[in-house]
Amino acid sequence: MEYVNPEGLRLDGRRPMEMRQLRAEIGVVSRADGSAVFEMGNTKVIAAVYGPREVQNKSQQMSDQALVRCEYSMANFSTGERKRKPKGDRRSTEISLVIRQTMEACILTDQMPRTQIDIFVQVLQADGGTRSACINAATLALADAGIPMRDLVTSCSAGYLNSTPLLDLNYVEDGAGGPDVTVGILPKLDKVTLLQMDAKLPMDTLESVMQLAAEGCKAVANYIREILLEHTKQLEVRRGT
Amino acid sequence: MFTVSAMVGLSLGEKQFIKGGIAQDLRTDGRKRSTYRPIFVETGVIPQANGSARVMIGATEVIASVKAELGRPNPSHPDKGKLSIFVDCSPTAEPSFEGRGGDDLASELSLALERCLLGGKSGAGAGIDLASLSIVEGKVCWDLYIDGLVISSDGNLLDALGAAIKAALSNTGIPKVQVASGASPDELPEVDISDEEFLQFDTSRFPVIVTLTKVGSHYIVDATSEEESQMSSALSVSVNREGQICGVTKRGGAGLDPSVILDMIYFAKTISEQLINKLDSQIAAAEACEEDDS
Repeated sequence: MEYVNPEGLRLDGRRPMEMRQLRAEIGVVSRADGSAVFEMGNTKVIAAVYGPREVQNKSQQMSDQALVRCEYSMANFSTGERKRKPKGDRRSTEISLVIRQTMEACILTDQMPRTQIDIFVQVLQADGGTRSACINAATLALADAGIPMRDLVTSCSAGYLNSTPLLDLNYVEDGAGGPDVTVGILPKLDKVTLLQMDAKLPMDTLESVMQLAAEGCKAVANYIREILLEHTKQLEVRRGT
Repeated sequence: MFTVSAMVGLSLGEKQFIKGGIAQDLRTDGRKRSTYRPIFVETGVIPQANGSARVMIGATEVIASVKAELGRPNPSHPDKGKLSIFVDCSPTAEPSFEGRGGDDLASELSLALERCLLGGKSGAGAGIDLASLSIVEGKVCWDLYIDGLVISSDGNLLDALGAAIKAALSNTGIPKVQVASGASPDELPEVDISDEEFLQFDTSRFPVIVTLTKVGSHYIVDATSEEESQMSSALSVSVNREGQICGVTKRGGAGLDPSVILDMIYFAKTISEQLINKLDSQIAAAEACEEDDS
C-alpha cells in the first residue's frame, strides 16, 4: 500500500514532516488537583493528577522521595471496533509503567518525601500515538497541579514508510508494519527520557527518524508552554490583580 | 450505594452545616432543595461512535456513546433489536476507582440505568422503540451498545448518565439497511449497509431520571458528593414526557415510609417536567452548535 503519494502527501493529507493538529485544555476535571485534555488529531486523552497527598498504602511510603503512580485506561468506545477489555491487560500495564517512569524522571520527587502522586490517564479516542498523547496530557496535568518538575517532558512518535520518515503516525500508518519510534524528551535540558522502537531499521535511518521525533517533541513543548502561559494569564485575570 | 463517601472528609461542623442548610431550604452552594445545578450538554464528542454526548451537571461530568452493530435478535423477541448499557468509572474521577476499585459502582450504575431506561426484559417499556431496530425478523437486527464513562464525579451520577444517554441517542444515526431479496429462509440474508442515509431515533418519549436524596427529614434533588455522604436513603425515579413512571430504584440503608415514597415519586414527577424541558433545549442547542461547526 502507498502511504506517501507521488505528490508527497500522506493518507490524511499531511506532509511527511507535518504533525496533526494539537489541542489542549487545562482544568477539565474540577475535583482533581490538576487535569488536562490533550488531542493530537483524532487521538484524545484526559489526564488527572491527585496529590501530592498522604500515601494510601503505608508500606509503599518512602522517606526520601515521593511515590509516583500511574494508571492508563482505555474507554470502551475509544477504538473503531467496540471492545470490552478487561482492566489491567498487558498492554495497559506496560503503558502505565512507561508513563510512570517518564514522569518520575522529571518530577522533583525528593522535594516531597512521604507523599504520593497519582496520575490517571483515560483514552477517549485512540487514533495512533496514544502513548505520546498520554505523556503530553500528564505533563500538562502535573503542571496544573503545581507539582515541581525539572522540565516539561513531551513526547511524539515518528515512523518510516515508503522510504520516507513520517512524523506523528496515525492509526493506519501505525498498523502498516513499519517501525514506530516513540521519543520523549526534556526539551530545555535536551535529554531523551523515553525511547521505544519496534521493527527493524538501518542505523543511519534510525538517526534521522529519531531526530524527526525529537523535533516533534520540541514543537509539542512549545505548544504546551503556550497553553500553560495562556492559562496562567487567565488565572491572573480572574484573581483580579 | 452510589456514593463515594470514603473520599469526602467532613468535620462534624461541616456535616451539621449541610444538614442544617437542607432543613432551612438553603443548601451550601446557595441552591434550594428542588434546584438543579447548571446543566451543559455537548453532542458528537466521539466521532467514531454512531452517537455520543457529554453532559456536565456542576462538577459531575459523564460521556455516553452509542455504537450500533449487526446481530441476531433474541429468540424470545424475534421482532426486536437489542439494547445494552455498560458504565465505566474512570479513575480520573476518583483515585479509589483505580484498578478494579470502580467496578462495583460501575455495575450498580449499569443495572440501575437498564432498569430505569430499558423497560424490563421484554423491552416493552423501553425509551426507544426496539422494533425499529429490527431488520429481518428473527435473523438480523441492530445491537445498540451504550457505553457510559464517568470522567468527574461530584454526586448525582445516575441523573447525569441518564441525561447523557438521552442526548447521545438523539444524536445517533443508524445506517439504512437494504436486504437482498431471494435468500432462502434458512440462511442469513445478505444486507447492504448504506453509508449515506441514516435513521434518527425519536427520543421524545425517552425518560429522564430524577434522584431524590433524603438527608434528615427532607429530600433534595441533584445532591453533590458532600450531600450524598450525609444521605440516609435515595430514590431514583425515571419519568417520561407524558408523566409516566418508567422505573424506580431505592437505595441506601434507611427504611422509608410507604406514604413518603409516594410523596417523593409525585415530587419527582413535577421536577421531571422542568428537567425534560431544560434537557431538550440543551440538546437542541448542542445539535445546532454541532451543525454550525461541521
